[in-house]
Amino acid sequence: MSNADIALMAHLMRRAGFGATRDELEAAVAKGYEATVEELLHPGDPQDLPQDIIRRYHTEQAELRLSDGAAANWMYRMITTQNPLEEKLALFWHSLFATGYVKLNQANALLNQIQMFRTYGLGNYATLLVELSRDPAMIIWLDNNDNHKEAINENYGRELLELFSMGIGNYTEQDIKECARAFTGWTLGNAEYMSTRASRDSIWPYSRINWHFQYRDHDHDDGEKTFLGETGNFNGQDIVEIIARQEATARFVSTRLFQFFAADEVDEDGETVIEEMMKSYFDSGYEIRSVLRTLFNSDYFKSEKARWARVKGPVELVIGAVRMAGSYREPTPGIEQVARQAVYMGQGLLQPPSVEGWHEGIEWVDSGALVERINFVAHELANVQNPGVRRIIDRLAGENGGTFTPEELVDRCLDLVGPVEVSDDTKAALIEYAGLQGDVSLANSDEGDESEQRVAGLLSLAAATREYQLA
Amino acid sequence: MSTQASPKQLTLEYVKTIGLATNQTGRGFVNPYDVAVGQDGRIFVLNHCDSARKNLIRVGIVNLDEDYLGEFGSGAGTGDDQFSSPVAMVFDSKDRLYITDELHHRVTIFDSSGNFLDKWDTKGSGSGEFNGPAGIAIDSNDNVYIVDQHNSRVQKLTSDGKFIAEWGEFGSGPGQFNLPWGIAVDKEANVYVADWRNDRIQKFTTDGAYLASFGESGDGDGQLNRPSGVGVDDEGFVYVADWGNERLQVFAPDGSFVLVERGQATNSKWAEDYLSVNLEEKETREISNLVPDLPPHLNTPQHISAQTEPYFWGPVSVRFDRDGRLYIPESNRHRMQIYQRK
Repeated sequence: MSNADIALMAHLMRRAGFGATRDELEAAVAKGYEATVEELLHPGDPQDLPQDIIRRYHTEQAELRLSDGAAANWMYRMITTQNPLEEKLALFWHSLFATGYVKLNQANALLNQIQMFRTYGLGNYATLLVELSRDPAMIIWLDNNDNHKEAINENYGRELLELFSMGIGNYTEQDIKECARAFTGWTLGNAEYMSTRASRDSIWPYSRINWHFQYRDHDHDDGEKTFLGETGNFNGQDIVEIIARQEATARFVSTRLFQFFAADEVDEDGETVIEEMMKSYFDSGYEIRSVLRTLFNSDYFKSEKARWARVKGPVELVIGAVRMAGSYREPTPGIEQVARQAVYMGQGLLQPPSVEGWHEGIEWVDSGALVERINFVAHELANVQNPGVRRIIDRLAGENGGTFTPEELVDRCLDLVGPVEVSDDTKAALIEYAGLQGDVSLANSDEGDESEQRVAGLLSLAAATREYQLA
Repeated sequence: MSTQASPKQLTLEYVKTIGLATNQTGRGFVNPYDVAVGQDGRIFVLNHCDSARKNLIRVGIVNLDEDYLGEFGSGAGTGDDQFSSPVAMVFDSKDRLYITDELHHRVTIFDSSGNFLDKWDTKGSGSGEFNGPAGIAIDSNDNVYIVDQHNSRVQKLTSDGKFIAEWGEFGSGPGQFNLPWGIAVDKEANVYVADWRNDRIQKFTTDGAYLASFGESGDGDGQLNRPSGVGVDDEGFVYVADWGNERLQVFAPDGSFVLVERGQATNSKWAEDYLSVNLEEKETREISNLVPDLPPHLNTPQHISAQTEPYFWGPVSVRFDRDGRLYIPESNRHRMQIYQRK
């Protein structure tokens, strides 16, 4: 098993998931790259922390009254799932179709939306857009409950075209109006009561009442519409079908997927990959799974050029560190604090700043956020009680007679938390730190003793490097 | 309103609902987990909460006429009158109230005025020690039975904490437990344990000899999904808070299925008070259907209960008062539904 194979697999798992431990990487390399891609694209039983266990020990996550509990609930799933791409893609859709708690005051509906992303996120894009249009959280978020036959509200129709499918410049203001007409009557059950409660943040008398979609035929405008040059008595599904077959839609969704999974910036070679993704989109009948397969198996994605070409988002960073450390795998008081850590770094799950989602890339790393990022990861990896840290220490104890020079220890720690490739200056600084107390021997170490603490300290420093902030 | 099932001829009549969600201390409940009725008829409600609302942990006191009479205890903390994860409570014959706390591995004893009397709080797996005490029950001789969930056992103690017996180990065989929760004792001092993650109720003699088991995994009649609470009436009928199925089930003394009740909550007096001054909500509520038909992907018990306000949502416990009324606190709805056997 070559270092190059491990490094490539680590790259895939950082992008298609939240990183992986060395044991997981070795297992994936043994399966092969393309087989691993297929496994990621065909999620099975997530084997995550069971919801009954979570609900018993986290009352708020049973009730889901507030966003903190819902975010923590999703974090448990991301931390413990065996289907990392399913969650990573749900996170992508959550950013693209950004729906926020602040207007809804309904955490349960947001988690239902995330579940919808899991169910449909790898499938047909038209189906996904129809489900999005039926999603109660989206209906309230973009006011489609106020979109009536006799008085349309264009908000959802506009964003469907601008932010969710084609992008500005590919349709007219009249198309927006016709689109909105087609979605009249798409609302939620008990819409008047539910929107009243949402606007007042009411939990009375007996806590939240979750939402469900309702189609009101009497409030639907069934008249003739002309949309993107086609004419008919279109309903919402018809509009989505027309949207899905537009080249602009293929380009839009392929580009956004490329930027999330491959590189923040699209260069000329990236454009070529996007063209291939668009072809897969049409050849497969709008299947996102096919589009992602094309991306992950492309030479560009596998090349050195794509490595470390994205800044880890806060949720990616937090989940990656927790998965590496092996913590929070059982109900743990304080899991809400883990969700809040991502908020402090600029990304509150279920709380996007606007319908445009988060501004990703280098904007994640302002100076305040950087301190939060480094502190959180360092804290997780400095704890030798954490099972993942123990596994690294035990692994090192079994190598090389358990004894390492400072240079060797730095190399091994960078390797086992990534592999992370750092600059010569960074490496020299790490070696200088490691060399302060000479060689390290783990051969006869006791849990938590000085030798183990030195390793954990170095793991923390490895995770504090500039390079660890990148994916 | 009543629910009836043949051939056992047991009928439950809905009595009323007491409760209201609240963000504050005072009137209202917050994630109620258990109910205990004192000798004077006052109803004590254990507000469990979790870290999201830890400052609202307390025992609230009400009466059947829905007057809020007061409260004691607080959270989260380790003081004698504080809790972090209180799970269950029960009165003994001297009106002393025993409350378990699964995070502090503690049983705390109060008088009926809320004054601290004693605590048993040694963490461990030895006799008289606890690891996550959950359900608690008392027999007619004031022996105390405590579900020691993470030790996978039941412990029987005297009312002053002296160890009498213990039984159980981790597993799914007879006499074994997997994260047990609620417990009840019948008038013959037989013990019933809600063996939560084994989806069954196990019945033992007062000293822990295995007698029977009923329930199996599923959502059909007589099947259970993570039962959390259990109660037994004077005739030996067994009432189960079928937590994962969001319902109440009743079994005959021989363990056969009798009836299922999904819940039929109505507005409490406090709910009416709220709506009377929040007219926009009242008016839109009145034109709403709070028992809607739901799309297939939302047809799980939890989704149904989250959208169907009269149904049980988070029924945790089943307790009786001296007049045979049945109290089912619902953690997620911040209320309790009260029924009476006819």
